[in-house]
Amino acid sequence: MRWLLALLLLSLPAVAEEPLVARLSTDRVELSTTFTGGSVMVFGSTAQPIGPGGAEVIIMARGPDLPFTVRRKVQVLGLWFNGPAARYGAVPAFYAVAGTLPAWRLLPEALRRQYALGLDMLRLTPTGAREPEFRAALVEIKQEAGLWQEDIAPVDIVGGRLFHVNLPLPATIPAGDYTVEVLLVDSRRVAARELLAFRVERVGTAATIADVSRGQPLLYGVICVVLAILAGWLGSVLFRRN
Amino acid sequence: MQVYLPIAEMTVDAFLLVGIGFAVGWLSGLFGVGGGFLLTPSLILLGVPAPVAVASGANQVLGASTSGMIAQWRRGNVDWTMGGVLVAGGLVGSAIGIQLFAWLKSAGLVDAAVSLFYVVVLGALGTLMVLESARAILRRSKKRQARLHEHFWMHGLPFKLRFRKSRLFISVIPPLLVGATVGLLSSIMGVGGGFMLVPAMIYLLGMPTGVVIGTSLFQVVCVAAAVTVMAAWQLGTVDIVLTLLLLLGGVAGAQFGAQMGTRLRGEETRFLLGALVLSVAGLLLWGLIDTPARLFNLSAG
Repeated sequence: MRWLLALLLLSLPAVAEEPLVARLSTDRVELSTTFTGGSVMVFGSTAQPIGPGGAEVIIMARGPDLPFTVRRKVQVLGLWFNGPAARYGAVPAFYAVAGTLPAWRLLPEALRRQYALGLDMLRLTPTGAREPEFRAALVEIKQEAGLWQEDIAPVDIVGGRLFHVNLPLPATIPAGDYTVEVLLVDSRRVAARELLAFRVERVGTAATIADVSRGQPLLYGVICVVLAILAGWLGSVLFRRN
Repeated sequence: MQVYLPIAEMTVDAFLLVGIGFAVGWLSGLFGVGGGFLLTPSLILLGVPAPVAVASGANQVLGASTSGMIAQWRRGNVDWTMGGVLVAGGLVGSAIGIQLFAWLKSAGLVDAAVSLFYVVVLGALGTLMVLESARAILRRSKKRQARLHEHFWMHGLPFKLRFRKSRLFISVIPPLLVGATVGLLSSIMGVGGGFMLVPAMIYLLGMPTGVVIGTSLFQVVCVAAAVTVMAAWQLGTVDIVLTLLLLLGGVAGAQFGAQMGTRLRGEETRFLLGALVLSVAGLLLWGLIDTPARLFNLSAG
């Protein structure tokens, strides 16, 4: 990891001229049929010293906004069914915040809200049920799935001016455009800011299948019928036991 | 080996899916049923979203039933007239089922509804099978005189049609209704429906047993194909990767199971199958009764 970091840092332009320089280990993550999760490393350097006594770094990554519905189960005649629902029109499918220190220790609430730093600062407005339990459940389920991460690992500092953090991407991340915001924080305000982006793309057979099923669903249905018939027929020929 | 299912949008062990396919195929070969009613609940228990489990289950049933239908066709055991009427009903039933499913999906009630359908249908069927086979085992020594053809209210219905191969002259309404019911269940439960179709054809329609298996397989293949196309088109829930992995194990398992099945006697087979059907129903009922570990759940859309 260390040597990789050193190698990556060599690629940074004119370190120490800019107040903040940051890069990503990759700008493209491929979701193939065998994708079981991956990670993106955010790394960079600062002009002024970071760490205890100096400035701090906060990194926030978020994926595409998608609609989600949270439902509460209710008991009817002894059986549990989905009952009241809260629908959120635009929820980041992936969200991660990490810092050299937790964001709430570095910035006042107004700034954290402005930059959406922290799960409690995400703007989530539901239609339907409005009880706070629905929002809490949304946060809890997303966190358990590893899709929302808050300070699960601190941003590491090397040599007082270099920093890096590894953002794990679970197997269930959706395809789309992801943004990474790197903030240099000094005396409770944002001193410098860099915006980065990467793309999560479906590739290979999985991508083709998903595309055809969405773009031409009728054709896809007919293909499924033909393939199942062929597979069933072929299998019965291959495994015939008499 | 981990594999990503593009429609279910999840990563599962490919060997586990092939294994489930094999186990279900083995049981279905052993008992001479399609096995959809075991497959779909297994997938749901594995964590596959219920709509994908149902649609891919129907797609798997199509593949698993094809070779059997071709074999029956070659032996001349398909009553095409009866099959055509059953399929006509089946298409209407499955089209209604898909609309109902789409509505349930938007209301977030799919999982509970699918479970409930399984509990009611399998519970009733399993109880009947266990009781009937237990009675048959107890009465084995006594022989009963079977009448060739019993007449009841059904035979007074209009629109009569001659089904030559089945040696029947009956109204088309009962087979249409039977086909529609099975089509509805097929699209909501992801099953072929052979377990309901066969008894209905024998006891309700009075078809000779020789043509029942072939004709029911014809209906199952046609309706499963229709459900696959409609589910892919309207719901976007057919996962072909899932289907093919299940078929890989399923077709192999069915051959082994069928070989072993020839050694079991009819009543014992029906008793065991009934017990199996009841335990699947019981498991799903428990899933509905048991207080959920978490009261809230999240779904996309």
